[in-house]
Amino acid sequence: MFKQLMIASGTLMLAACGPVQTDSEVYQDGLVYCSEGNPEIFNPQLVTSGTTVDATSAQLYDRLLDYDAKQQQFVPALARGWQAFDQGRRYRFNLRENVQFHDTDWFTPTRTFNADDVLFSFQRWLNQQHVYHQVNGGRYPFFRSSGLIKLIEKVEKIDDYTVDFHLVQSDSSFLANLATDFAVILSAEYAQQLIAEGNPEQIDRLPVGTGPFEFEMFRKDFVIRYSAHEGYWREQPEIKTLVYVITPNANKRMLKLLTGECDVIPYPLVNELSQLDQDAKIQVGSSVSPNVSFWAFNTQHPPFDNVVVRRALAHAINRPAIIQTIYDGNARLATGMLPETSWAYSPVQQTYPYDPAKARELLAEAGFPNGFSMDIWAMPVQRAYNPNAHRMAELIQSDLAQVGVQANIVSYEWNTFRQRLVNGEHDSVLIGWVADNADPDNFFRPTLSCAAARSGNNRAQWCNPEFDQLLVDAITESDLDQRKHLYQAIEDFVMQQAPLVPIANSLRFQAHRDDIEGVELPPYGGINFRYARRVTDAPL
Amino acid sequence: MLRYSLRRIVLLIVTLWLLSLLIFSLNYWYPGDSLTNMTGIAINDTLAYQQAHSARGFDNGIISQYGLFVSHLFQGDWGLSLVTQQPVFAEIKPLLGATIELGLLAMLLAMILGIPLGVYAAVQQRGPIDRVIMGISLSAYSIPVFWLAQLFILLFAVKLGWSPISGQINPLYAIETQTGSILIDIWLSDTEFKAAALSDALNHLWVPVIVLAIMPLTMLIRIMRNAVLDVLQQNFIKAARARGLSDATIMFRHTLPNALQPVIRQLGLQFSVLMTNIVITEVIFNWPGLGSWLVKSIYERDFPVIQAGLLILASLILFVNVLVDLAHAWRYPQVRKEIDAE
Repeated sequence: MFKQLMIASGTLMLAACGPVQTDSEVYQDGLVYCSEGNPEIFNPQLVTSGTTVDATSAQLYDRLLDYDAKQQQFVPALARGWQAFDQGRRYRFNLRENVQFHDTDWFTPTRTFNADDVLFSFQRWLNQQHVYHQVNGGRYPFFRSSGLIKLIEKVEKIDDYTVDFHLVQSDSSFLANLATDFAVILSAEYAQQLIAEGNPEQIDRLPVGTGPFEFEMFRKDFVIRYSAHEGYWREQPEIKTLVYVITPNANKRMLKLLTGECDVIPYPLVNELSQLDQDAKIQVGSSVSPNVSFWAFNTQHPPFDNVVVRRALAHAINRPAIIQTIYDGNARLATGMLPETSWAYSPVQQTYPYDPAKARELLAEAGFPNGFSMDIWAMPVQRAYNPNAHRMAELIQSDLAQVGVQANIVSYEWNTFRQRLVNGEHDSVLIGWVADNADPDNFFRPTLSCAAARSGNNRAQWCNPEFDQLLVDAITESDLDQRKHLYQAIEDFVMQQAPLVPIANSLRFQAHRDDIEGVELPPYGGINFRYARRVTDAPL
Repeated sequence: MLRYSLRRIVLLIVTLWLLSLLIFSLNYWYPGDSLTNMTGIAINDTLAYQQAHSARGFDNGIISQYGLFVSHLFQGDWGLSLVTQQPVFAEIKPLLGATIELGLLAMLLAMILGIPLGVYAAVQQRGPIDRVIMGISLSAYSIPVFWLAQLFILLFAVKLGWSPISGQINPLYAIETQTGSILIDIWLSDTEFKAAALSDALNHLWVPVIVLAIMPLTMLIRIMRNAVLDVLQQNFIKAARARGLSDATIMFRHTLPNALQPVIRQLGLQFSVLMTNIVITEVIFNWPGLGSWLVKSIYERDFPVIQAGLLILASLILFVNVLVDLAHAWRYPQVRKEIDAE
C-alpha cells in the first residue's frame, strides 16, 4: 500500500513539472476570454449590465440591424432593408430568409427565422399580457428607460418576411435603439416548446439565438462555454470554442494574461497599462467609448436643491488634476454630457473652471459662508468611465475641504449601492453612463429626464419639465443640423442647472495576446468575437 | 470495541443534531424573511411561497418547523440558491468532489513526505540534518497559507511559467463535470485529448496541493519525530537492542508501528486544519470546490448556500474525525482501555 502510494505520488510530481503543453489543436481553435464577472442571465433584454451584454449580445444573438461605428451608419442584419412611412410613424422591415437558429441539445429548430420570431421578441416586453412578459422578472430596463416601450404602438406581421412597426410619434432615435445590443431576436418556436414543457424560465438560461456562437454550458463563478454556430448566416467565426473564464480580480486577470491563460481581458488596470505595453507578447487595444463619468448631486436633498450650491461645488473641484491622477492621461476632460465623438457634440460655452475663491463666494451667497457637511458616494467597482471612484472621491474630498465643505466618503457592495441610489439615499455620487447607441438622446433621456428620475436611473433625482420639453423637441426633429442646435441648447441647460458635474470621457481598454486578432470592441455595445482568430505563425 | 464505537457514534449523532439546530436557527437570525432564507423562494413568487409555507410548517410552531426542516434535509431538498435560483443540493456533488480531491492529495503528500522525514530527523537527533529539517519545518509552519499561495503563484506561475495561475484545467478542454474531481472526470470523459488534458490538469494541480500540504506536513514531521524519540526510550527497544537485532529491524518491526499511534490520532485534527486552509486555497486558486463556493455565497448573502456549505464542511470534518478515532481504537486496543478506564 505504502509503496503504491509512493509510486503514485512520484508519477504525479513528474508529470506535473513538465512544460505547459500548447501544441494541440484544442488551443489553436479556441479562445479564452477572462471576463470580469458572471452574467446575470443570458438575455440582454432583461438587463443593462455591461458584463451580461459582453457575454450574450454579439455572441448568441443578432439584431434586425447593426450600427457600423466606422461608417457611422446602420447596416442590415436580420432585416435585409427597411423603409419609413407615414412621416416616420411606421417602419417596414424586410426580413432575411434562410437564417438558422442554434441547434442544441435542448432545442432542434424545425424552421428558419421569420416574422413570428420578430413578433415574439418584441411582444415579450411590449405587451404586459404576453405569456413571457413576467418570466424571469418582467423588467426590461433598457426599453423602459429609453422610452421604446412607450414609443412602439404595435408590431404587425404583414407576411412571413415582412414586419411593420407602428410608432406613437416619429422618433429619430428609433433605429438607433433597435440597433443596440438589447434589441435581440429570440426564437418563437423555442418559446412555444418551453411553454409546452412547462418550463418557460429556461428561455433565458439555456438560450437559443441566431448568433455566431452557440451556448454550451455555464458554471457560475467559473466558466461559460460557447461553440461556433455551424449554420451561421454570415461568415463563419474562425474560433471553434469560445470560453469565458470568470475572473473578477483585476490583478489576477492581468497575471493570467501574462502567463497566457487568458487570451483577451477586459478592463486592464490603467496605471499598469504602460507596463503591459512593454511586454511584446501583449497588445493593448482601446476604443473610444461613448461614456461620461460625472458627479451627480441629489437635488431632492437640501442644500443641493439650491442651484447656487451646486455651481459652487462645481467650481470647487479641480477636474484637470483628477483626470491626471485617476486616468493617467487616458481620458479627456468632459465639457458636457456628450463626448467629443458624438455628432451632436459642440463645446459648451459655460463650464466650471477650478476656482475656489469663486466657490466660496457662491457658497456665501447661498447662505453657507462656513460650508457644510455632505456625503460622496463612490462606487465600489471599476468601470470604463471611472477606474477608481474611491480615489476620485478622496481628491474631491480634499478639494472641498479647501472651500470649507466637509465630505464623507460612502461605499457599499455594488448591488446594494445601486439599490440605495435608486432609493435616493445619497447626497452626491460619483458614477457615470455608457451610451447604448449612437443617438445623442441616449446621453440625456436615460440619465436626466423625469421618467429616469421616477425609475431611479436619474442619479441627480432631478426632474425639470422645461428640460423634458427640450428633449422631446430634439427627438421629434428629423433635420440633423436643427437637432444639433437643439442638443447644444440642452447641454447649455444642463450646465446652467448643474444637476451634475461631468468629469471625464475615457477610453475603454482591452488587452490581448499578440497571436489573437480581430477582437472587436465597438464603441456602442459589448465585445464581439465574430471575427476573432488566432494567428498561426506566432511561435507556440 | 463495540462499546467504544457506540459511544463515538452517539457522540457523532449528538453533534450533528446540535449542528442542525444551529443551522436551523441561522434562518431566523439572518436578516430578511426566515422562509426565504431557508428555501430561497422570494416572497413575491406568491404561489411557490405559499406552497413552501405549508410544506415547511410555517403555519405551526417552531418545533414542527424544525422537524420538517430536518426531514427536508434528509430528502435532499436544501432549497434554492438566492442568486441562481437553482437547487442547492444538486450543486454540492461536484464541489465536494473537487474539495476532496485537493484535500486527499495534499494529505497523501504530507504523509508520504512527513513520516519518513520525521523518522529520519528522530534518528539523526541533534545532528545537523535534524536541525535543518526542524528549522525548515518550523519556518514553513509559520507561513500563513494565503501568503504562501500568492508567493507560489508569483514564483511558479508568473516568474518561472511552470504552472498556470488558477483553475482546475485549461477550459478549452471540454471536460464535463461529473464527479467534480478533475482527474476522475477526465478519466470518465470521452475527449480525444485525454493524455493532454490529464497533463494539463496535473499542471494545474501541483501548486495548490503543495501549498495545502505544507501545514500538515510540518506538523507530521514534528509529531513523528517526537513519537519516534518517545518509543526509542522504551524498555522493549533497549531489550531488542540487547538481543542484538539490527537497527533496521528495530526501526521497522518495533519502533515505527508503535510511533504511528500518536500520528494516527493526530490525523483527524490535521484534517480539520486542512479544511480551514482548503477554503483559503480554493479561493486563491479559483478551485471549484466547497470552500470557494462558501466564501462567494457569504459575499453574495446567499443564505441557503451558506447553510449548505457550513453543514457539509462541518459534517465532513466530524465524520472524518470519528472515522479516524474508530480506526485508531481498532488498531491500538490500549487506547480503548485508556478511554474506557476499565
